[in-house]
Amino acid sequence: MHSIWAVATNTIKQALRMKIAAVFIILLIVLLPVMGVSMTGDGTLKGRLQTFVSYGLSLTNLLLCLLTIIVSIYTLTNDIEQKQIYTVITKPIRRYQLLLGKLLGVILLSAALLALFSAIIYTITIYTPKLFDADEADLIQVDNEFFTARAVLTPPEVDVTQEVLDTYEKLEKGGQLPPDVPRSKIMAELTRRKQLEKRAAVVGQWLVWEFNNVKVLDPNETLFIRYKYDVSINPPDLQVYSRWLVGDDRQIRYGTTPETPIYEFDRKNLIRTFHEIEVPADAVAEDSYLAVAFLNDPQRNETTVIFPPDGLEVLYKADTFTANFIRAVLLILFRLIFLASLSLLASTFLSFPVAILLSLCILFTAAFSGFCLESFDYLGENLSWVYFYTVRPIILLLPQFDKFSPAKFLVPARLLSWPLLAKAAGLMVCIKALLLLLLALLIFSFREIAKIII
Amino acid sequence: MEYAVETFSLTKIFSDWWGRDKVYAVDDLNLQVHYNEVFGLLGPNGSGKTTTLKLLLGLLYPTKGRSAVLGGDGADPKISARIGFLPEESYLYRYLNARETLDFYGRLFGLPAKVRKMRIEALLDMVGLKAVANRPVGTFSKGMARRIGLAQALINDPELLILDEPTTGLDPIGTRQIKDLILELAKRGKTVLLCSHLLADVEDVCDRISILYGGKVQAEGQVRDLLLRSNKVQITTDAISDNTIERIKQLIKDEHADYEVTSPMDKLETFFIKTVEDAQQQALTTSGAVSTTGISDFLAAEAAQENILDKLVSTPVSRQTPTQPPVTESADRRIETSEPKPDEQLLRKLSKPAQPKPVARDKKVKTQPVKPKAPKPEQVRKSILDQLTGRSTPQNEDENSDSK
Repeated sequence: MHSIWAVATNTIKQALRMKIAAVFIILLIVLLPVMGVSMTGDGTLKGRLQTFVSYGLSLTNLLLCLLTIIVSIYTLTNDIEQKQIYTVITKPIRRYQLLLGKLLGVILLSAALLALFSAIIYTITIYTPKLFDADEADLIQVDNEFFTARAVLTPPEVDVTQEVLDTYEKLEKGGQLPPDVPRSKIMAELTRRKQLEKRAAVVGQWLVWEFNNVKVLDPNETLFIRYKYDVSINPPDLQVYSRWLVGDDRQIRYGTTPETPIYEFDRKNLIRTFHEIEVPADAVAEDSYLAVAFLNDPQRNETTVIFPPDGLEVLYKADTFTANFIRAVLLILFRLIFLASLSLLASTFLSFPVAILLSLCILFTAAFSGFCLESFDYLGENLSWVYFYTVRPIILLLPQFDKFSPAKFLVPARLLSWPLLAKAAGLMVCIKALLLLLLALLIFSFREIAKIII
Repeated sequence: MEYAVETFSLTKIFSDWWGRDKVYAVDDLNLQVHYNEVFGLLGPNGSGKTTTLKLLLGLLYPTKGRSAVLGGDGADPKISARIGFLPEESYLYRYLNARETLDFYGRLFGLPAKVRKMRIEALLDMVGLKAVANRPVGTFSKGMARRIGLAQALINDPELLILDEPTTGLDPIGTRQIKDLILELAKRGKTVLLCSHLLADVEDVCDRISILYGGKVQAEGQVRDLLLRSNKVQITTDAISDNTIERIKQLIKDEHADYEVTSPMDKLETFFIKTVEDAQQQALTTSGAVSTTGISDFLAAEAAQENILDKLVSTPVSRQTPTQPPVTESADRRIETSEPKPDEQLLRKLSKPAQPKPVARDKKVKTQPVKPKAPKPEQVRKSILDQLTGRSTPQNEDENSDSK
């Protein structure tokens, strides 16, 4: 252990004194406060906070990812190229201890810097409302919609299997099926259309979503309906007029005595951006049931309104902003641990520039893994099994950084629950990083350290 | 465990990318280095010396054959804890200063903080870098870096010292110091395996040598046996009258032998050292390494009770280079007359009951009694402090045996 620790502290000294870390530290220390003042978002206090947290964390994340990659690769390849490793490895230290020491040093350095910069971001965020003399309404809005951590409920996907089968049979009987298309493809297309139908409202039509698991802790709190529209034809002012009913709709349907209130809202919203409706939490029925109804206003709208698949959610307060922020920062730490293991693996058998190139490629693929998978899936129809058994598993092996992006949780004040965090830790650190590290230990233990010099 | 280092048909073949054999760097090498021996591995550039050392230390893997170091595998932490290694160049972390460098290596050995601190100061003193101990190693000259490299090889008080070209980049004084140090370590029971192509260095210190060429041993044996010209005799005396010389010539003529009468020349090394020492005595400042004498006390072993004066006056007969006695003599004189820094052992003498001055065993050496300069007070205090605090168990034993 003492030798691992000696190597770790030496690695930290190396990163600091060779001024690799200095570039990143200075950049962040200058940029973060500047961003705090200059970023205004959409002009509201909430917009300002969201923009700052989103960009601040993304920048910190990107720079620390780069720093981690560069430091881990530099520390090992430099030792090998400059041959300091000759004097180190001939001391009573096992090779795995050397590698673990380097890893520990890199992780400690990254974690310390991450703690420093997220503390700066946190402080600036907390003090922004005071700094800009926000008015009362703004403060209440950010308290409810930003400085909180809200659990998210999405409506379950409607089961359309039976309808699709019916339609298929009808088409088959009518002889309207295209002759040279396989059944599975037709079914898939029909399913897609049916589901789209369920999410679309023509002028004057109601859409109803039912939620069965709205566990609001305190009925005096508020909950939020968060939504986004797509339209079939763009309205001239890009606005959609709507009427919303939120509450226990069984009271209307079955005519029982009203026990919980039903709230009604009229809204005029820009299309293709998220909006929120604040609803008192007492609208939720005793059995955690809540219905949300939407009316495509027949008087003022002339277009069909479509909700995208993630276009409607119910949010309610489940934790504090601080706790959520800390978990979001931990998410970045997991990334850094993964990258440190990856970079050390690369540097056990590659030279500095090649290892950097490889690690950066993997970083960016992981950062856009969702996009990569989607685009390859699209191509995959033509590439068939070659793609399916080669590229796809490799991309799936990479951690999905975009799926676990901290801004994705903090900007909409969405709860990043401990189980989700544990899942990210399990996937990124316990499985993927560990595998890489084991491979690195294996390669490093068996390779010849000395260069071929005769 | 008969040998400190032993190799069995050790072979290293470097192949090209396709796996075809290209170069036999070490070819069927069988070496035996005895315990407590200074063994020299000689050879021209590219003869496989460094490759052999790397194979011993596990930096390279042998293609065929195997090696045993201190009875085990050189890469095993249990074994490497007893080895000190100085690579062909001092590969050091440029951003650490001298003290931190030694501290880092000390921590790799798991030395306790107290022992580490004591040894670091002693070693810095010994290699003469105490004044620049807080400067980053990256700003050091090659020779100064070499001294730090040597210090890191000694921090664990190794049983076996593996030195690859120990004197490259060192000034003649440094070279002389390293040679003295190697001899002193050997006297203290250490085994030294050094490889070099500087023949003068090897000749001065090695008991046995092996000459490599093309990865194979070309010659091996005792330095004395290999170099002694048993059909010649050399007599060196003080300046004597021409009359006496004539009488000696006559005696030789009676034996029907050829002869030659000259005054022995100092080696340039000796002259250089003397000049620099004169400058040091005039207290000229330098930004480089300071030359010191003596050896760190913690590098302990059975012979450690020897006083520094013993060392000065008695060059052991076995180690004496037979062909050049005058050199040995003047080299010894250097050590006496120049004391730029107070020697720790002398200081210890000062702080203790006087000891009888050892008698010079070798009659031909003309030594003057040592007159040590009065050491600076703070250095005395530091030295005493070292004795009080720093000395862990082995050092205590030394001291006890010293005062006996």
